[in-house]
This record gives sequence, structure tokens and C-alpha cells, in this order.
Amino acid sequence: MLARLLYSTKWFVMLIALQVLVFNHIHIAGYATPLPYVYFLLILPSDTPRSALLMWGFALGFIVDTFTNTPGMAAAALTFIGFIRPALLHFFSPRDKEDNAYLPSATEMRHSSFFGYVLVAVLLHESIFFSLEAFTLYNWQELLINIATSSALTTLIIIAIESIRSSVRTTPKE
Amino acid sequence: MNNLLDFLRKYHYFFLFILLEVASFALLFYFNNYQGSVWYTSANRVTASIDRFYGDVQTYLNLQHVNRKLTDHNIQLQRQIDVLRERLADLDHDSTETERLVAKSLEGYRLIPAKVISSTLVRRNNYLVIDRGAKDGIRPEMGVVSGGGVVGIVFLTGPNYSLVLPAINARSSISCRIRNHRFFGYLQWDGGSPIEAYVSDIPRYARLKVGEVIETSGYSSIFPPGIFVGRIRAIHNAPDGVTYRLDVTLGTDFGRLRDVTVIATENRAEIDTLRVHALQSEQAI
Repeated sequence: MLARLLYSTKWFVMLIALQVLVFNHIHIAGYATPLPYVYFLLILPSDTPRSALLMWGFALGFIVDTFTNTPGMAAAALTFIGFIRPALLHFFSPRDKEDNAYLPSATEMRHSSFFGYVLVAVLLHESIFFSLEAFTLYNWQELLINIATSSALTTLIIIAIESIRSSVRTTPKE
Repeated sequence: MNNLLDFLRKYHYFFLFILLEVASFALLFYFNNYQGSVWYTSANRVTASIDRFYGDVQTYLNLQHVNRKLTDHNIQLQRQIDVLRERLADLDHDSTETERLVAKSLEGYRLIPAKVISSTLVRRNNYLVIDRGAKDGIRPEMGVVSGGGVVGIVFLTGPNYSLVLPAINARSSISCRIRNHRFFGYLQWDGGSPIEAYVSDIPRYARLKVGEVIETSGYSSIFPPGIFVGRIRAIHNAPDGVTYRLDVTLGTDFGRLRDVTVIATENRAEIDTLRVHALQSEQAI
């Protein structure tokens, strides 16, 4: 239990720091802003209680929001991701993993399903986040470009982080 | 009832989800500039009042410093105003008939422009100091004029400054005449108003009118003939019984005198000089 909490807290702090110090300053062509902190919710153990997922999501969003002066936006988006994560994971996870708890990752799941899992979550998150930020459909083309480019960039970064994580985790074992 | 509790237990995460989303949107609406524009003003007022309180305290603590800065600034501005006002007066100044006549009668003389740097008005023996001296070619007994007319005669010269004996000095005596008449006398002053002097030694048989022009005679070489001195204000009988004493309103406003011209004459003054020396020795005794 404690090890789990430490694991979660480590990623929580690390992803917030990355977001605040690095990713918030990236605005490719004025549209694409990577928001890879959503990765935190995706890699929580599969048996994490639904309410815990919601609380983690809200807390993460709230802290990110205070740093970016976007109160409520990331919190709303991440709470939603926390809400649908069990369903998402259930949809993408392999059948044989259903029974036992595991840490969602590219190695535990198949690469393609993990990629799909990440992509759907990121798309949902970016859609909610940028819709809330714009709060109007007046510039819907711009909003779509925003969501699409940011999702692509965020997914790319999450896959990169995931590959680093799995290589780090597998290296000591061998 | 049990069913309801079961339902709540089973789906409590859903209510938590709703609660957290509501909290998120509350944050969104209450704090975000754009989305919460309805509340924007009140939020802004809170921020502003906090800022103002902070600012008030800081201002109070800085008052002394601010005060001194303001005083300094004030002095600086005052000085600037003086300079600009002077420049404006110079530019606005329209040349009068008198000035043109003075300028005309001074043609052919070497003129040295000078500025009055100090003057007195209310004493019996008033003096002016001008910012030109021996280095500039000024010697004692040279005439000094201004746009308004005669000012006085250089009395002493230093290397850079000169002392001028103006017409409003009791020891001053300037040879002058009445324009278009041949009568001449001496312009003198015995205290009182700095714009009023008198001319003595005008014979009783002269037919004069109030308002006629007194000008320099040119008998001495201090002043060229025809420089405006003033106008007759009143005609009195002199106590000696044979001459008039003419009260003269001087053309030069000594109170506001600043730009003057020294007339550089090559010949030494004679008559006026002698009179000045005579008066000097008289007073010395």
C-alpha cells in the first residue's frame, strides 16, 4: 500500500514538475501545447478504486491549474478522465489481465492497445481542456486544430516517457 | 431504503465525480478571467482593494522621500518656467517706435550688448551692474541705452563687469534737450519714483507743452544726439526764479531693465564728465 502510494506520488510530482517547468512553455506554431500529465492517471494500478482515481485526477488538475492560471479547466478534464479510466482500461486491456491487478504499461498490455488507450484518453482530455479554455464554438476550426495538434504532441511525449519507463523498469530485472 | 443505500454505495464514485466536476466548474467560473467575466469585476474589486491597502501603507512610509522629491521637482520646474517666460518675452517683444528711433540714432556707433545682472531702484544712489567690462572694450564715461531710451553712464569698469550710474541716481546728470527746440538742460533725479526725473535749467521764455519729448543733446560725446529720454509730465517754476523745472517721465523702465547697449565712444566725454566729477568732489567734501 505504502509502496503504491510512493509510486503514485513520485509520478505525480514528476509530471507536475515537467509540465510546469518544461511543457507549459512549449507552444508549437501557437497551437500545440503538450499536456502529458494525463499520463499519471493512465498508469495507476488497474485495481485503483474509482473514487481514488477521481480524487487523484482532481488534485493533479487543481495543482496544474494553479500554476498555469487556468483554474478548473485541467481539474474538470482530469476528473473526467479519472471517471472513464476504468472503462477505457477495460476496453483496451487484454482478456487475460482482467482478473489480477497490474500496472498499465506498454509491456503489460500490448503496445498497440496501450497506444490506443493513451490516444483516446489524451484526445478526450485535450478536447475537454481546450473546449473549456475557448468556452465557445465560435472559432471551431481553430479549436479543432488546437485539439488535434496538442493531442498528437501529447501522445508522442507520453509514448516517449512510457518507453523510457519500461526500459528503466526492465533493465534491472535482466 | 436499503436499495437506495446500496445504490449510493455502489455508485458513490459517480456522485464524487459530479461533485468534483462541480467544484472544477466553480473554480472555472469564479476565477478565470474570460469564462468568469460576470464575476470578473467583483473579483477585480477585491484584488484592487487589497492592492490599494498595500499601496496606501507603502505610500505612507515613503511620504518623506516623496516630499523631498516633489520639492526638488518643483524648484526645477519653477526655474524652467522662468527661463521659458523670459524667452517668450524676448520673442513676443514687438519693437516700438522709440526703439526704432533709438536704433536709428545709434547707427554708426560701435555698440556693445550687455545684460543687467543687478540693479537697485529704491535708494537715492542707485547703480546697475552689467555683464560686460574692460575686456569687452568698455570704459568709464560710455553711454548706456536700452530699447526704452537712455539708461545711464558707465561709472567704473572691472575686467568682466561694469558699474553703471543710471539716470535714477542722484549723482547722475545727463545733458539733454527738448526735441524740435534748442533748449537744453540736465536730466537729474533726486529720489522717489524710478520712472520720474526732472530736467533743470530750461529758460522761462521757452514755449513748452506737456508731453513733448526730451532727448539727448549730443553736446557731450557720451550719447549721440536724439536718443529718447522721456516725456514732459509737468512744468514747474524752478526756485531760482529764472528757469523751469520739467518733470519727466522716463522712457526706460528701470524695474524691468535687462538688455542694454553700451555705446562705445572713442572721444572722452567732457561736459558730462566734468559735471560728474564736480558732483563727486562736492559730495566728497
